[in-house]
Amino acid sequence: MQVAEFRTQLHAWLDAHHAELAPRVSLPGTLDERVAQMQRVKSLLFDAGWMRYGWPERVGGLGGSPMLRTELGAALAARDLADPGLFSLIEVLAPTLIDFASPALAAEVVPKLLSGAELWCQGFSEPGTGSDLSSLRCRAVPDGDPRTASAWLIRGQKVWTSLAQYSDRCVLLTRTGPPDSRHRGITAFLVDMHAPGVAVAPLEMINGEREFAEVYFDDVRVPADHMLGELDGGWTVAMNILPHERSSCFWQRIAYLYRRLERLVELAPEDDRAADVIGNAYVQLHALRSRSRTTQHRLAAGATLGAETSIDKVLVADAEQATYDAVRRLLPGVVETDDSTEGEGWRIEYLYSRAATIYGGTAEVQRNIIARRLLDLGSEA
Amino acid sequence: MEAAEREVLDAAVGDAIRREAAKGGAAVDEALMGLGWLEMLHAEPRDAIDCVFRSLGANAAVASVLDDVVVSALGTKPHADLAVLLPRYGEWDPPETDGLVSARAATAGAVLVVGRAGAELRASTVPISAVELCPVRGIDPDAGLCTAHVHGDRAAATRLDAEAWDAAVAVGRRAVAGQMAGACRTMLELARAHALERVQFGHPIARFQAVRHRLAEAFVAIEALEAALTAADDEPNLMTAALAKALAGRAARTVATHCQQVLGGVGFTTDHPFHRFLKRTMLLEGVFGSADEIVGAVGRRLLVTREVPTLIEL
Repeated sequence: MQVAEFRTQLHAWLDAHHAELAPRVSLPGTLDERVAQMQRVKSLLFDAGWMRYGWPERVGGLGGSPMLRTELGAALAARDLADPGLFSLIEVLAPTLIDFASPALAAEVVPKLLSGAELWCQGFSEPGTGSDLSSLRCRAVPDGDPRTASAWLIRGQKVWTSLAQYSDRCVLLTRTGPPDSRHRGITAFLVDMHAPGVAVAPLEMINGEREFAEVYFDDVRVPADHMLGELDGGWTVAMNILPHERSSCFWQRIAYLYRRLERLVELAPEDDRAADVIGNAYVQLHALRSRSRTTQHRLAAGATLGAETSIDKVLVADAEQATYDAVRRLLPGVVETDDSTEGEGWRIEYLYSRAATIYGGTAEVQRNIIARRLLDLGSEA
Repeated sequence: MEAAEREVLDAAVGDAIRREAAKGGAAVDEALMGLGWLEMLHAEPRDAIDCVFRSLGANAAVASVLDDVVVSALGTKPHADLAVLLPRYGEWDPPETDGLVSARAATAGAVLVVGRAGAELRASTVPISAVELCPVRGIDPDAGLCTAHVHGDRAAATRLDAEAWDAAVAVGRRAVAGQMAGACRTMLELARAHALERVQFGHPIARFQAVRHRLAEAFVAIEALEAALTAADDEPNLMTAALAKALAGRAARTVATHCQQVLGGVGFTTDHPFHRFLKRTMLLEGVFGSADEIVGAVGRRLLVTREVPTLIEL
């Protein structure tokens, strides 16, 4: 199906089924409520087929361009039907299974993720591993010879694991080479979060929510056929996520930011200062949306995305912060003192937006990449 | 236009503009006319405008092709003898009697003038003798811009569609934004080359993170502008062109600030070419409205309509 045709039919269906899909509580609601809403919406969309477009048939999909699922995520974000940050986690999890799991494992588990029957998380960051991912230390050791072992034992700690406390499985990066093997000695696994030895401790964020968690693995046994990709090939698995994260996930985030700016425009005073502040956020969102669109067209045309997506990352972070800066300036006191449901929503989102220049590679790391790889300035002093 | 065809066009136009730039606007105009500029503008306006204006910007060259772009958007057949009255500096309303004229003022026989008569939009062609011209020296006298005042009544005015002026502003903004993108790329290339060459404290300054991040910042601004230009070409309308022009103004400021800083002392002299691009982009920012004015106008529109249109889709 063509993207434009899909969009038209999707929106017609979403209009017709609004009552079933709409959140049961006033937004933002609690994180528990937002997670439950997302899983309920996924289930309805999966049964109606929408959740299956853009995914391969061998994992329960209906095929078609990945842009179809991007359109779906953007439509849900623009209608406040699912939190885009949580919903778009599918884009960093399912492709990993499709590209790196055994066909049997992918066929078994991916439909559970798409249909909302399960929730998964991504275990990459560690206490000592922020922007420098290749320094990770969480160990996986074979139960016997590494080539023939039927299982691996995992011991270590992860942090910033989104939704770990709700998750059934985790795409986990582990150290399988020597401690100093950097990106060469990393292996990925799909780990059962209900297995003995897994402990989850949610972290309270600056906005009061507990979206992230610390996850501890104490000799957790993982079947060898749950290895994703090659032994010591985990870096390839991690890098494969980048194109998805920086195309589809961004487009969904962008749709949501337009939605939030529209709400601000409804509430803001109609004066010259507001016009300047709104115009500023809008021009940044437009630059970002334009950039993201060209990136996705390149991806759809078969290009391999790489360092140039650091531009997209810088633009998305700046536009997100500009949008919430506009909120704080034009709705004085709301972020700081408004205890209504809507005030709480703005406060949570304003505070969350401060992380946009930190997660997924900090603003500084992106500029280092741009200087080194795109401007070809050579190595640093 | 196919990519291969576009490459040939870029090379031909780039060569001509580089060769003739030092001789002034009339020589560049003649070279572009010789390459079939007016035919290209008619047959392949998207590529013609992007290629020619980008190259003008990249070489800080002067030409009066903006006249042809605006004239043609107003539904009149462009030719080398016809200039157009552009809006006053920093504005975009139909100029009526007072506005700007490009370097073509020196050679044109007539000027196309658009104004409002009540609710109606009207255009008339007035002889150059009826236009009082005053060269703008300002920050960039080489650009050849003049302020213009049109004398006398214009009984022979023809009626235009209500949207004709908006269309002319949109395509004019798109053209100038492309020119500014070209200039931004050259500024960054000059600063990059300097950073790799200039040694201080025993290293090329390109190795220092503070310098690298400035150049990265400039590059991000240019890439954002490029994306907005593509959006304006794929979905041409008043809003996408306005946003492209606003982003051009912003990019030029960001790029000029960081590149001038990286260029240090040498960028502060007229021995180095940087100053020409700085001054040209400063001047161009006010043609069809500055970034700040456009951003304010766009913001007012969003507040009045209480809608935030997404403008482009996948």
